[in-house]
Amino acid sequence: MSKIISTHSFRGGTGKSNLTANLAVLVARAGYRVAVIDTDIQSPGIHVLFRLDPSSIKHSLNDFLWGRCSIQAASYDVTASAIGQVDESTDRPRLFLIPSSINAGELARILREGYDVSRLNDGLQDLLSQLRLDFLFIDTHPGVNEETLLSIAVSDSLVLIVRPDQQDFQGTAVAVELARKLEVPEMFLVVNKALAGTDFSVLKDFVESMYRVDVAAVLPLNNEMVEMASGGIFSNRYPEHPFTRELKRVAERILKPVPQPIA
Amino acid sequence: MTATSSDQELDLLVGRMKAAAAPIREVLREIHARYAARDEGKVADYIPELAKADPRWFGLVIATVDGQVFEVGDSRQQFTIQSISKPFVYGLALEDHGLEEVLKRVGVEPTGEAFNAIVLDEASNRPFNPMVNAGAIATADLIQGRDFPERVRRLAAMLGKYCGREVYIDNSVFMSERMTGHRNRAIGHLMLNFGMVSPQIEDSLELYFQQCSAMVDARDLALMGATLARGGVNPLTGQRAISQTYVKYLLGIMLTCGMYDYAGEWAFRVGIPAKSGVGGGIVGVVPGQFGIGVFSPPLDAKGNSVRGVLACQELSTRFGLHCFEQDFAGPQLRDMLTPARAAKVNHTDGRATAASADAVGFPVEP
Repeated sequence: MSKIISTHSFRGGTGKSNLTANLAVLVARAGYRVAVIDTDIQSPGIHVLFRLDPSSIKHSLNDFLWGRCSIQAASYDVTASAIGQVDESTDRPRLFLIPSSINAGELARILREGYDVSRLNDGLQDLLSQLRLDFLFIDTHPGVNEETLLSIAVSDSLVLIVRPDQQDFQGTAVAVELARKLEVPEMFLVVNKALAGTDFSVLKDFVESMYRVDVAAVLPLNNEMVEMASGGIFSNRYPEHPFTRELKRVAERILKPVPQPIA
Repeated sequence: MTATSSDQELDLLVGRMKAAAAPIREVLREIHARYAARDEGKVADYIPELAKADPRWFGLVIATVDGQVFEVGDSRQQFTIQSISKPFVYGLALEDHGLEEVLKRVGVEPTGEAFNAIVLDEASNRPFNPMVNAGAIATADLIQGRDFPERVRRLAAMLGKYCGREVYIDNSVFMSERMTGHRNRAIGHLMLNFGMVSPQIEDSLELYFQQCSAMVDARDLALMGATLARGGVNPLTGQRAISQTYVKYLLGIMLTCGMYDYAGEWAFRVGIPAKSGVGGGIVGVVPGQFGIGVFSPPLDAKGNSVRGVLACQELSTRFGLHCFEQDFAGPQLRDMLTPARAAKVNHTDGRATAASADAVGFPVEP
């Protein structure tokens, strides 16, 4: 059984891609086959965290969406850079990345022509079976667009990332409403970039009561992460950092099976 | 009002996303991939326009009675409707004249004769049924209108209601059909000889060539099927295409006569009221549930789309869609219309569920 997890934030700059990459690494390290797909076609970036050199990207998600290649041809094994040496005799853990193109022409084409969003779902299903995934993380575009809604519609679990900020709070209400309409089986919030001096438990209660959604973690504004400037996976470099410990609680939530509706 | 319409907008969008994420897509893709590889059959070439079709074209679409549309492959490739128009024009004739009057002109008996046979029922002089050319020409003759252009307009408007969009007639196919339609003209004049058609038979033949030359795609066919499946109302537009009373007669004739000389075995094996055309299309109807539209030009020896027959056959046996199926124990297609989450589908060896929360190991810098 595999699980699809979408990470989403209504606005940009919440640290969504960073959290997604770190969660994917933590989950893979627990002994699983994991993939991260960058459906943020308009503003891709997560490949940087996995140190995937743009010149080595032969095919991207864009190529698959245009019907130019299989989704597998657009997936890259980033286990070595994200986890390090693994036992080659077993097939777990593994981490794969499906990047979006950062070619300006490709971006322009997507914006101009759009694409058949159901093809994205075909790709997600193909990934699960062809890469024999245990977990598939979808890094979505901020705000509401078709690939985001489709991602939520196919997800078992939705992680909403929100900063303690009025604009984030209002926008997140929209995302929560849409997720409920799309009947996502499991949804939780991660509050990121909380300022030092804030009472985290008060903030947690406040956010939970606002959306009636569990808050899995409240993460502090993290200077070390800012300094890393997306130069790698934070939890790898700072395994004992309080931020990493909080992130692990989120990873634990993701590792739990999705509650099944009573038939 | 604003609130209502923005709610509807939202529901439409959410519905579209649910459709895009529904497992039925996987089923259609799998069936499509399997039969796309089959390259038997021959593209119809009795007129040059049909021979231009790419034998690789293959579109497969299911449209539900509540307006969800699931399409794979060349679902938007246009082609001429050809004989698939026949049951729909028969419906228009029923609306114009009522059942009893129409039955006086065209029978409802299956025939073992070829679809273009020049043969009429010896006792009544009627064509055997509205699905053979003779019956379809006699049916076209019944379509009312002030003059020929109005008859064409009424026919095109009728097809448009089923498709939920304006339907156009392809002029080059129409010209080819009428230039080469000597056999159909012979049939028309034979019926005129017996007094079974009106003196305006030349116009009616033109109308028949026009109806065969209407351009549709597999998605249109699925919506036409879904409209019949829903008792005559187009599920996308909410517009009625045919009176509810007549829908059962259309389905009855499709089930018994819709698939040329394969009609008997089709009714026996597949059990889905359907109609095929030499353009490579097949429309199928699962009453109360959905319409099926398939398009692939290579035809078998009986004149039915090879891939179309295979795809319908598989859908029918796999999901118990035969109209006489009861207590089918297998999976139901209607349960696959909303997203099934990956966690319900077994792709891997189950490790993810067996994992305990404390399995998260402390990371080590690579």
